[in-house]
Amino acid sequence: MSETNETFTSGSSTEQQTARSRRSLYRERLDRYVLTPLRVIWNDWRTRLGTLIILFYILVGTVGVHYISEPQIGGPRLAGIFEAPGYPLGTNNLGEGLMSSLVHATPPMLKMITAGAVFATGIAVALGTVSGYKGGRVDTVLSTLIDIAMTVPGLPLIILLVVTFQPTNPFVIGIVLSINSWAGLARNIRSQVLELRDNSYIEASRIMGRSTGGIVYDDILPNIMPFVLISFVNTARAVIFGSVGLYYLGILQTPENNWGIMLNNAYSAGGALYSWDSLYWIVLPMATIVLLSFGLVLFSQGTERLFNPRIRARHAETIDETSPMEE
Amino acid sequence: MSETDHVVSLDDVRVHFEPESGLFARDDDVVKAVDGISLDIGENDVVALVGESGCGKSTLGKTAIGTQRPTEGSVSYRGQDIWEARDGDSDAEIPYETIRRSLQIIHQDPGASLNPNKTVLHSLMVPLKLTEPDLNTFDRRDRVHEMLSRVGMEPPKDYANRYPHQLSGGERQRVALIRALLMNPDLIFADEAVSALDVSLRIDMMDLMLELQDQFNTSFLFVSHNLSNASYITGKADGRIGVMYLGELVELGPIDEVIQNPQHPYTKALMWAAPNLNPDAAEDTTGTPLRKIDVPDPRNPPAGCRFHTRCPNAREACKQTPPETDVDADGDHKVACYRAIDDHEYWDSPELSD
Amino acid sequence: MQAETKHKFDVDDPIFEVRNASVTFDMERGESKVMDSIDIDVDRGEILGVVGESGSGKSMFASALLDAVPKPGVLSGEIQYYPEDGEPVDLLDQSESEIKEIRWEEISMVFQGAMSSFNPTMTIGDHFEETLQAHGRDISEGMEYADELLSELYLEADQVLGSYPHELSGGMKQRALLALSLLLEPEVLVMDEPTAALDLLMQRSIIELIRDIGEERDLTIVFITHDLPLVANLADRIGVLYAFEFVEVGPAYDILTDSKHPYTRALLNSTPNLDTPREEMRPIEGKSPDPVNVPAGCSYHPRCPLSDENCVQNDPPFQSDDGDTDHQAKCHYIEQTRREIPLNLQEVEYSE
Repeated sequence: MSETNETFTSGSSTEQQTARSRRSLYRERLDRYVLTPLRVIWNDWRTRLGTLIILFYILVGTVGVHYISEPQIGGPRLAGIFEAPGYPLGTNNLGEGLMSSLVHATPPMLKMITAGAVFATGIAVALGTVSGYKGGRVDTVLSTLIDIAMTVPGLPLIILLVVTFQPTNPFVIGIVLSINSWAGLARNIRSQVLELRDNSYIEASRIMGRSTGGIVYDDILPNIMPFVLISFVNTARAVIFGSVGLYYLGILQTPENNWGIMLNNAYSAGGALYSWDSLYWIVLPMATIVLLSFGLVLFSQGTERLFNPRIRARHAETIDETSPMEE
Repeated sequence: MSETDHVVSLDDVRVHFEPESGLFARDDDVVKAVDGISLDIGENDVVALVGESGCGKSTLGKTAIGTQRPTEGSVSYRGQDIWEARDGDSDAEIPYETIRRSLQIIHQDPGASLNPNKTVLHSLMVPLKLTEPDLNTFDRRDRVHEMLSRVGMEPPKDYANRYPHQLSGGERQRVALIRALLMNPDLIFADEAVSALDVSLRIDMMDLMLELQDQFNTSFLFVSHNLSNASYITGKADGRIGVMYLGELVELGPIDEVIQNPQHPYTKALMWAAPNLNPDAAEDTTGTPLRKIDVPDPRNPPAGCRFHTRCPNAREACKQTPPETDVDADGDHKVACYRAIDDHEYWDSPELSD
Repeated sequence: MQAETKHKFDVDDPIFEVRNASVTFDMERGESKVMDSIDIDVDRGEILGVVGESGSGKSMFASALLDAVPKPGVLSGEIQYYPEDGEPVDLLDQSESEIKEIRWEEISMVFQGAMSSFNPTMTIGDHFEETLQAHGRDISEGMEYADELLSELYLEADQVLGSYPHELSGGMKQRALLALSLLLEPEVLVMDEPTAALDLLMQRSIIELIRDIGEERDLTIVFITHDLPLVANLADRIGVLYAFEFVEVGPAYDILTDSKHPYTRALLNSTPNLDTPREEMRPIEGKSPDPVNVPAGCSYHPRCPLSDENCVQNDPPFQSDDGDTDHQAKCHYIEQTRREIPLNLQEVEYSE
């Protein structure tokens, strides 16, 4: 095939050209949507550390559970850290290894967090954007709904639901725990969308006749994403603490292991708050909880950068570095 | 000339904004942004609208492209009433979707007219996806690159991959122009499109708009508060200029006619105000010809001729009834002023003094 | 560097002598010089128009005259201020409190976008009182003077003083701001795009008001704008900024009819104007430079039709071509510009 100049004729490209352009298109897409966000995340120590921590937990919860056996009664009792062979993090009063307990409590916790955060944030975004963008009657109806949900007291409702329905499925528990947090988020998102709606480029999209869905996805969502991600992380943390609290109090019951239950056991059966010997028993689950929460917070602190076009442009390789003077 | 020859026809359009209803709103808080304007825009036409802020020119522009619903009167696209089509009148000859695409906009602020989170390429693919859904991605890209080259943004591939913050104001406006043109519109409402650009870039932008107008068969409705800009673009296109004051069209005609032979006292005042580069010609260094500097509250426009409170030639007769738009001999230079009529009672009534 | 001569621009009674003033910012991508060794004099009682497009450094120049360059910018050089009576003062040498006294009492400023610099929770009258208080002036006397100023600007003093900023139109706010800047009877008024967001008629009216007030009170006015026609009939002298330095300075009439720098001439040719024949208008090719990356030699050479090797290598000195030291331009080929770059406006004149 003869070498053809890359003239901008639409329609007819040689096969070679198409293959070349397709490869460069994929390369570009890969760079833009995968590599650049990764670079941005890696660039800031907070997001880097936060991501690593979260990944660690995910790893433990998915792969780790296969390598570390479930906790079994019968091992050496109340062994401290590194005291008993095969039980690096010690054991509780029943001889169950603490490391195994912690590890095996992770998957349900992750499921709860994901379910809760996705649920609350998803509903908040959906209702908030529709309400804020559409305005008029739709807005009035949805806003009233949101207001009612906001006034219902959260904690009593959760406790009521838990006690009545006794859920055991971690996904369900996650949703129940965040049953009320979507309302405040929705309200916030709605006010942000209200502000955005009057932007010139959104008006231009409307004038072009774009569908509402297209406009919301392309023009509105990217602007509220930093807030959405932060809300997501906050809900996740609320679920962690909520579940741990309720398990600790015994309101939530589960046959499975849970960090909250471990705390409870450490306190009641081990007297861990009163003696130095069993201190490790309460500290370890606490540390686990705090570390995950910390990881989430660190990650969320940097999320704003992910959606900042100036930072994305700097880290993308397929984008020209030159920019005119900042005005 | 039948109605369908006109791309957009505005017929006695009124746009009134009600204040938020509340405990303290009163009837006289209604802002009559546009109060009885008729205007026809033809194929490949250029019409400029000039006036001070608050005169309603932006509102009129938005009404003309079907984004602002008129309170009274009608706005039609090629004979089809736009809002009837929109409201789902199944008799509509031209579907609303088609109308919506044919009427586009270029905003004033280049910093806000593009989505800051998307690259230029992405923003320009949007109109292409709407107007030519059958093109594949590569062909669409080629079209975008072609347009970028044509407006002087070389190499196009580099510019296509940039985000708006990596472009200068002039470049952003050019992208906004491309975006509007890729919709293949019949009318583009340029809302102060060059006012935010540096003075030396304005000619460039206006020349570009005219160049592409021919190739895309588009009309322009060019709204500006700057008379020199309006004069440049309409002059080169042999277009018309309309002068607006407090929601009304006080003068309308071919650009050179109006500039050389302004009939309405307000138009004359605008010409006095237009800064002049020629220091010899600026002999008229007297103060403002108007009796008052400030524009009256649009919620409460003066009775009779709305301009009478500031007009240097106002007389008693002007306070009574508003003058009808009068047409001159050639039929294309219209003015709404009693002074245009030789035997009106205006000439006999006493001058206003305050 | 140019030789340090007093009255370098043939100015009779300088109120400002700016020498070698620069403003630099340290940016990630390099050192950004947004004002480049500027030398200029301002005559007492004159109206100096400073014209520059966006990205020319004009707002920085305004800030520099008040030693109010935003951090982390660093202002260096010498800015001598000669008050009516008293010793000359080097503005850059002053302490924070000394400079604060000078600002607003001697040198007052009207910023760009000043209309949003009113505090929305205070009435206009509150702003005036606050200013008087901050400078230790008598309130009742000061407010009486404010009433006077406001009526001179065709504002109803009672109504305006009692209103909140959002209740006033743009034109009214701008005039109120003007009154505020004159409240302490300064010697100098520095204005940065004071009419930018205003309509044609209001703009022109305010320009007239500025001229009248300036004359009455013997003010020195530095009027900074990107809109050359705006100052065409207001300024006594005009200085043209390009790439963070002055490229031409001279009497307004000369600059408009007989400018010597290629950029000034190109700017005149590209400015839409009712009188100029449209076919003669020419845009300027190219872009203004990035402050981190100003071309070596003459900063305008990439866009100049007259440029050659000399221009690329050597920064031209400020000079005049006919010994007329009041009109100078920074160009090697100052003699040829008239011939090489015809002014489209002149063609109109010459043909009459």
